[in-house]
Amino acid sequence: MRRVVVVLLLAAAPLAAQDYRLRLDARFQSVSFRGVELDSILASAAVADSTGSLQTPDGFAVLCLPGEAYCTYFRPGPQRVGAPLVTMVGGSVWGFGVRGLSAHGTARLGADLSNDNAWPGTDPAVQLVEGYVQYAAERVTARAGRQILYTRLGTTGFDGANVTWRVPRQHINVAGYLGWGLARGVALPVTSPALNPLDDFQPQQRQIIAGLDADWTARLGEARLSYQREVDPRSDKFVSERVAVSGAVRPSAGWTVSGGAEYDMAAGWWGSADLSVGYATRTVTGLLEGRRYRPHFDLWTIWGAFSPVPYHSLRGSVTVRPSRPLQLHARGEVYRFDPAEVSAPLVSYVTDGWRAEVGATVEPRTGWIIDGGYSREFGPGAASVGGGASVTYTPTRHTRVTVYGHAHDRPLEFRYSESVLRVLGLDGGTDLNDRVRLSLGAMRYAEERRRPDAAEFDWTQWRLTAGVTLLFARGGDLENLPPAIRRMPGGRNAP
Amino acid sequence: MITFLLAASFVQAADSGGFDHLKHKGLFPSCTSCHAGAETAGAPLWPKESSCVDCHDGKIEKVVVWRPRTEARRTNLRFDHVQHRVAAKDKPAPCAACHTEAGEPRMAVRPPVVGRCLDCHGIRTAHLAAPDSACATCHLSLARAVTLTRGDVARFPAPPSHDDVRWLGREGHGAVARSALTTNCATCHAQEFCYQCHAGGTPPRAIAAFASDPRSTALAAHRAPASHGATFADRHAALAAAGTASCSSCHIRSDCLECHRSTAANAPGYHPSGFLSRHPAAAYARETSCNDCHSERSFCAACHQQSGLVATRGLRTGYHDGSRFFSAGHGGAARQSLESCVSCHTERDCLPCHSAVGGRRYNPHGPGFDAERLRRKNIQMCTVCHGGAVPGP
Repeated sequence: MRRVVVVLLLAAAPLAAQDYRLRLDARFQSVSFRGVELDSILASAAVADSTGSLQTPDGFAVLCLPGEAYCTYFRPGPQRVGAPLVTMVGGSVWGFGVRGLSAHGTARLGADLSNDNAWPGTDPAVQLVEGYVQYAAERVTARAGRQILYTRLGTTGFDGANVTWRVPRQHINVAGYLGWGLARGVALPVTSPALNPLDDFQPQQRQIIAGLDADWTARLGEARLSYQREVDPRSDKFVSERVAVSGAVRPSAGWTVSGGAEYDMAAGWWGSADLSVGYATRTVTGLLEGRRYRPHFDLWTIWGAFSPVPYHSLRGSVTVRPSRPLQLHARGEVYRFDPAEVSAPLVSYVTDGWRAEVGATVEPRTGWIIDGGYSREFGPGAASVGGGASVTYTPTRHTRVTVYGHAHDRPLEFRYSESVLRVLGLDGGTDLNDRVRLSLGAMRYAEERRRPDAAEFDWTQWRLTAGVTLLFARGGDLENLPPAIRRMPGGRNAP
Repeated sequence: MITFLLAASFVQAADSGGFDHLKHKGLFPSCTSCHAGAETAGAPLWPKESSCVDCHDGKIEKVVVWRPRTEARRTNLRFDHVQHRVAAKDKPAPCAACHTEAGEPRMAVRPPVVGRCLDCHGIRTAHLAAPDSACATCHLSLARAVTLTRGDVARFPAPPSHDDVRWLGREGHGAVARSALTTNCATCHAQEFCYQCHAGGTPPRAIAAFASDPRSTALAAHRAPASHGATFADRHAALAAAGTASCSSCHIRSDCLECHRSTAANAPGYHPSGFLSRHPAAAYARETSCNDCHSERSFCAACHQQSGLVATRGLRTGYHDGSRFFSAGHGGAARQSLESCVSCHTERDCLPCHSAVGGRRYNPHGPGFDAERLRRKNIQMCTVCHGGAVPGP
């Protein structure tokens, strides 16, 4: 007890100088959706329609397999109402009396206020996204706690330690990390029940993750190398082992050539890769890129053994600003999958696809922005065609109102159900002061399923959103700064 | 320069101490009779307490309380009365030349009148519009102005040059900083101010020449460049991809990931409105890597389950009714879009046909499959289908 008192007394002076930044973003939605529901009837109860196809007596098309006693079909599912309230709380604390020492945390609080429990992602109710203590000096940054890293290999979450060593004169950074990993794309361990909604196989223990990241940056270019391995501690076998390289060269003003590739050392094949040439000036921005995409699956699933094949694509985009109030943009991509080497004579499937979009943005006068675009997309599994427009009015620096609308058709390749969507909405937001921001939105959402049987249904509804952002802070007037500043309280050399 | 006004306001509030110079104009023919320090090195700048008592003794005049200033003045002026007289050599200015407005009587004393400083020094502009080369004439750098508090710094007014839409670009503050960073910019700024935006891996070298002073972050560098219009967030992708160098002069990676991640409840607009309805087209042949931000298991499968889009009662339900024999010939589509399959199907769905133990033994291995390597890396995966009889040495 005496030691605690002594520690508290010693800490009293530094803590008195403690500064903090706490940001709270809460967003509430009232939405509903309606899926489908599997049902069946006795094969003998199925009736033929005018074309000879079988259906239920009330008009739903059915699938009757030879020799089966029952035919199956899908009815419109029940209306599911969700009222999710999701709150992100992020904070930084510094000024502990040790120059460069700070603590950072981000948590996600989620709850579905409806009785349907319909909204995904609200379980568990509290998720710690990040929470670490950091010591930053000129040449070294060390972190301990829950962290998320972003590298060419994707997002990597873990509970552990991460040390970055810098050689400023040579512009070199080298980082190493070690810890217990989180699942990919979510701040939960792989053992969490929330990650197994379909009751599939699930790991019994968290993986051990370790990695190395090195980068070099100079005026003319940059290069980066990332290595990462994940090991199942129960079997001492690999969950994944990958390496990635990426780099960019800036040969002259406005021009950038960049690229990178990933190699899956566990599976023994190359993953995704890309090479692009970019050009950017005040009036013209363009990008031409060749890329290859291949998904990555961890070795504690069997999916990698199914040999997912990559696709190769060529895509480009261009943005032109012929005059100050006008901006035109277009983008497009064509892609083709590698041969799947599968004998499937009964099923034909698409092996290539394309995407295209054109649009324009106009600022006819101060405070007004009109934006519109049209897009088409066709490829394996699904297609999409439609367009949309929005008008934004910003009467003051602190207030914004946007009216928008769009319509899309969405045919599917393997599902006989074309969905047509029309949306009309209104969004608004205002900064009551430097520390309080409010937003409201309303959307008329009309979804029409076009089928020639009773499964055709219209799903029109209103969706409402409301949000509030609160900022609590001491130790600087950083409220309106870009996120970089919120993440680097007081600057790098702050005491 | 900026703080000159600031200091002046302090002087007005504190230095006169309620003393009405004009009312006493007949009593004091000389300024230096009270403010000897303005002329003589080492002499006090302020009169003694007893000076007032000669008259304000409670009989001749009412008693007043006057105490000369003892604490350091909160200012960033490099001005010293005696040195200024020496520097002025043969044309020392009378006190009234700085402490009164032009045309006012000698005893209409004010804090230093900035405009008159500028006049003498040949600066023909308003105070804050003075050329950048002029600041250091009268002002200390922020790092050396140790008496100023963080609150004082926060009240520094910005010069009109900073309002120019091009100010944030290389040709704006960048050009000034390269030429006169340590002399003029340093009047109001220090390293930490720059790091508010230049937070990338390689800040401009000029910043290293700056002094360090945490008080400098009291000024917020929060304006976005002119190129960042209201819809810039929707249009920045190509620009960022083409030239990360220009982005990284102000942004760090974490900025991007504020939106480009699954937990961005504070930035729900990453996907365009209506994306939910048309996401299949983007997801089947991944327009981008969805699982960088979304967990297929918790995000995709959980939502599909709520919508009845998962295989809960076997694979022969006819859900893929756009292709009559899809179950029998799905292999090609599956190898192309396996991530999409996984968002509705489990490994258990596949085993009845693809397992070598109790299943129909349909071999799922295809191009690129390296059995020996995978066996070596994690044989447990193999046992899901092969049981204890995993082929190989």
